[in-house]
Amino acid sequence: MTTKNISQNETANEQLEADLDNPERRTLLKRAAIGGGAVLAAGMGSYAAGKSSVQGVPDLSWPVVTDDFKSFPQRNTVLSYAISPQQMMRHPERNEQFGRLNKNNPNYNFQVQVPGYEFKPWDNSRPGFTQLDHALQHSSWFPPFSTELRLAGLGTPNSRFYSWDQSDVELEQYQFGSEKEASDAIRAAAKLYGAVRCGIARRDKRFDYDPIYDAGITTEMMNSLESQGVHKLRDYKQVAGAMQEAMKEFKVQDRELTWEHDFPFVPKSVIVLAVPMDYDNLATAPSRTSGATVGDGYTKMATLASSIAKFIKNLGFQAVACGNDLGSSVAYGIAAGLGEGGRNNQLLVPGYGPRVRICKVYTDFEFVEYDQAHTWGMTEFCKSCKKCGEACPSQAIDMSDDTHFYYDGEHSDQPGYAWGNHEGIKKFHTDAKKCFDYWLESDNDCGACAAACTFNEPDYWHHWFIMAINPYTPKFIHSLMAELHPAFGYGSTEDPAKVKKFWKTGEGMRVNETNRHAFGAVGKA
Amino acid sequence: MQLLQWFLMGIMFTLGSIGVAYLSTKVKMPWYGWSTVIIGSILVLFGIGWSGASFLEGVAQSGAMALMLMSMPGVLMVVLAYRYFATQIVSKS
Ligand code: SF4
Ligand code: SF4
Repeated sequence: MTTKNISQNETANEQLEADLDNPERRTLLKRAAIGGGAVLAAGMGSYAAGKSSVQGVPDLSWPVVTDDFKSFPQRNTVLSYAISPQQMMRHPERNEQFGRLNKNNPNYNFQVQVPGYEFKPWDNSRPGFTQLDHALQHSSWFPPFSTELRLAGLGTPNSRFYSWDQSDVELEQYQFGSEKEASDAIRAAAKLYGAVRCGIARRDKRFDYDPIYDAGITTEMMNSLESQGVHKLRDYKQVAGAMQEAMKEFKVQDRELTWEHDFPFVPKSVIVLAVPMDYDNLATAPSRTSGATVGDGYTKMATLASSIAKFIKNLGFQAVACGNDLGSSVAYGIAAGLGEGGRNNQLLVPGYGPRVRICKVYTDFEFVEYDQAHTWGMTEFCKSCKKCGEACPSQAIDMSDDTHFYYDGEHSDQPGYAWGNHEGIKKFHTDAKKCFDYWLESDNDCGACAAACTFNEPDYWHHWFIMAINPYTPKFIHSLMAELHPAFGYGSTEDPAKVKKFWKTGEGMRVNETNRHAFGAVGKA
Repeated sequence: MQLLQWFLMGIMFTLGSIGVAYLSTKVKMPWYGWSTVIIGSILVLFGIGWSGASFLEGVAQSGAMALMLMSMPGVLMVVLAYRYFATQIVSKS
């Protein structure tokens, strides 16, 4: 140590001694130390409490169902009906009733509108619907349109990515050291392939579609209709005629498949995987722009779920990947502990809200640590918040003050109106027919209810803070939080400023100052 | 960027606690006066932290609302508590 350093240290020691001799300074140092310690302890305590709160608490009461609650036949999902020419002929009363009650048009028909869906021309004077937005949306659907994913998205089972073929299962079965090791390995693979959440649920027949439904239409048939320009026709009589011709040419025959006779094995577990949608892109909903993160999500679902299914098969066990088909993704998402059911009938995932797409892998592998349903107080929050319903352009969303067992929205008094609702489980019940009708009419896949959701938040600490305190806040605070969400600038829909903002998010991509969640986060890259 | 924000907030909280400690050597207040000052200071810092994150995520409206609904009442609480409850400590020396 040099002479200069020694003399500096001595001066510092003398100063400290002088400070300690001064009672006022001593009090200040003592109180500053106590204050600093208290701040540190409070900070660490809050962080630990928050971290534990966002884990959620097991919800042993879920699901609350009626005695006769059972699995739902897939043919009755609105998408299965709407894409099926044969169901159109078998159940003309469904089209007629919906049209008469909601559109003042008893000749209403879902099926003839499907070939032209999302093919209306762009409008360069309308933000979100310009050629630029149109180009983006259609490019996002290019991979699904090039494979059979378009049909899979509509619920068709056993398609290319979601194949039921088990001929490639390894003969030797890998032995994991423990169930936890097996679950961790599955989650590690899921994370690698792009999942932001992964949970494993026991197979529950009540949440499987039974029977499974295949409308019989094929990619070749759809491509043929497109090559004839049917997607551009706006005269529905002509569309119906072209569809009839195509049905004859491609010998369209729908069929129902059973788990017992047609599915290749008896599933024991369902791996539930969530892929994110981009915050800024979805914020433009409902628009062609926001349709891009939806289309992109379908591709990501397929690559993720099919890779995980192949991973399980390589370990020597049977597995089938699926997207919207085979079972209710929301119910399985809840069962796997990924989130809670929202008023908008979507899975609300902490940190994302409904801004995820869900895919699943059915497998006979059961040496795993199963997850269970959890609650974060989100469904409870929905009871005081109706923001999704207020944002819904078709009034399809349940606006009741509490969850309930049966569809009780508009026209619920009309016999058979709720054919598309899975009733008998305590939740909010949407009118999916009105929703899909709006998609067809507006020519985009909407998503306003997801964009407006109070839990659709970017990944920043203050949103996690709200998430963490949510279970401990009373009902009137929930209402206040729901009102403040838009007041703070979040959740607006049909907002041209959001479209403009989205198209700026590519700025700064040469150097990215954060690698955290670049996709699905907010703001510039 | 958010980690940098945490770091800066840590410095601000530390300076805040030193500031309150310093004030406690200069003025006397009843317990409710100190509670108001401490809660007010936390609100000020919380609002700043919130608005920092909001500006980072590009939602300026949220940042402005946080400053208005959290930091501003916090400042008012500190000022009012000081104004109505504080009495100067007279140095004995
Ligand atoms: S997607 Fe659109 S139309 Fe459908 S329920 Fe949500 S907001 Fe309503
Ligand atoms: S907007 Fe509100 S009511 Fe609707 S799902 Fe989100 S939290 Fe629930």
